[in-house]
Amino acid sequence: MTATHAPSVAAVDVSGLGHQYVADAGAVQALDGLDLRVGDGEFVALVGPSGCGKSTLLRILAGLLAPTDGSALVRGDAPQVALTSHAVGLVTQDPGLLPWRTVSGNVSLVLEVTGASADVPELLGRVGIDAFADYHPRELSGGMRQRVALARALAHGPRLLLMDEPFGSLDEFSREDIGLELLRIWERDRVSILFVTHSIREAVLLADRVVVMSAAPGRIIADLPVQLPRPRSQALEQTPDFAAAVAEVRRAMGGRE
Amino acid sequence: MSEATPPQSRPPQSRPGAVPELADLTDSSEWVTTSSTRRGLPPTREIVGVVLPAIVAATVALTLWEIWISVRDIKEYMVPAPRAIGRALLDDPSRFVEAGSISLVHALGGLGFGGGAAFLLAVVMAHSRPLERALYPLAILVKVTPVVAVAPLFLIWFGFNAWPKLLVAAMITFFPVLVNAMTGLRSIDPTSHDFLRALNASRWQVFWKLRLPASLPYVLAALRISVPLSLIGAVVAEWFAADSGVGQIIVIASGELDTPVLFGAVFVLALIGVTFTGTIAYIERRVLFWHESSSGV
Repeated sequence: MTATHAPSVAAVDVSGLGHQYVADAGAVQALDGLDLRVGDGEFVALVGPSGCGKSTLLRILAGLLAPTDGSALVRGDAPQVALTSHAVGLVTQDPGLLPWRTVSGNVSLVLEVTGASADVPELLGRVGIDAFADYHPRELSGGMRQRVALARALAHGPRLLLMDEPFGSLDEFSREDIGLELLRIWERDRVSILFVTHSIREAVLLADRVVVMSAAPGRIIADLPVQLPRPRSQALEQTPDFAAAVAEVRRAMGGRE
Repeated sequence: MSEATPPQSRPPQSRPGAVPELADLTDSSEWVTTSSTRRGLPPTREIVGVVLPAIVAATVALTLWEIWISVRDIKEYMVPAPRAIGRALLDDPSRFVEAGSISLVHALGGLGFGGGAAFLLAVVMAHSRPLERALYPLAILVKVTPVVAVAPLFLIWFGFNAWPKLLVAAMITFFPVLVNAMTGLRSIDPTSHDFLRALNASRWQVFWKLRLPASLPYVLAALRISVPLSLIGAVVAEWFAADSGVGQIIVIASGELDTPVLFGAVFVLALIGVTFTGTIAYIERRVLFWHESSSGV
């Protein structure tokens, strides 16, 4: 659908981005002079302390928020333009599933809104919840709800996934599971992913590059390529290379997790 | 696949104090409820469990009432015995059935008009703050005006037909539906809203897919409040017109000091109110299976 763009067009190209929230108590500078590039098909993880503006950045890229400063391009277009071509899929920590719709109903919501067509059972199968198609969200565990959110974000065939601490509320087991499943989908579909997380281990396990943000106002303080072999698996976490990569990111963050 | 259970083992009902089976312990899911618990008790058990105690209590109360009247020798025009009320009802049942159905139509029709108008206005007001600020004072005006004061006016304007009754019932139900519908239409989950906006959903799509379903718990709660109100409105208007409905029976019977008939009329209204409210409660349970309110009683 959006294959008209040359492969060289970056999925995300942000330069000098700043955003200031104006509240009664005064202005808060959430982002300041932020530069970030996510190449086509690249998996980039964004880590940083709470309140460093990670969510603000994703909201800007999703076209939900207009930045007060600088420029943001999604696949070469302004985010508000990019969202009209349905090139972006969004997954947030609280998935915001519609409680009155079943699992498959929540996925087909995307198709109803965008006019795209997709094989819903196949999508559910891809994230391992095809057996729960007729369940309602409140009958599911947090992990399964997040799988629904993932299937829903993929339904209209986006070229870029924006993920805001998608697995942040899950237990360790589900988290690793669904993360590796995301990797399989990414390897198959070659979508670009910008993945916000506060877990360094998760970032290193999944991403091609880990980008570290500073506390407010948020800006990039380190950009570290992860040179670990793919396809990745749980076993990788036991290797010294993995430990070294995690330590490198932690050092860049100033020693904190 | 640590948290997924196979489809054939649907989760057991979450009974309090129930010992979880081994299969439940192997997954990390927290089952809030299942489709079998959320619909409440099965119909036959519901009738026995819910209706029977009420019938027993009512029978006991009526018996005590009957005994009290005969022991204290109370005059029938003051308080009639239940048997006298029963006689009055059975003496001319078609009169009560006819009047009852007319009052029901007036109340239901008024609720339809009032509730419908209120909902449409709520949709407009939920989408526009300036319109809300302009129209809300008018809605308050409708609310604070006592219906007893306007019923004679409607009678003069519209004459001896169904319109004054429908309009009084509509007027009295208007405000609760308006306020609740507006709250409901605005009570959408911001995350769901963001998700739809990021998909470039139109306002219309957001309305149909998100706002309208999200408002249903509020609208149905408003209907539950409005049902008894609509009956009040209908009967008050019938009373002034004295040409039809249970209101007419009340006016005539009170003039004749025919207390058993008066009680009969009250009984008919109570019956209509209970049936009407029960129907709304039933619809609420069926439609709002997904809402927190349905996990309780």
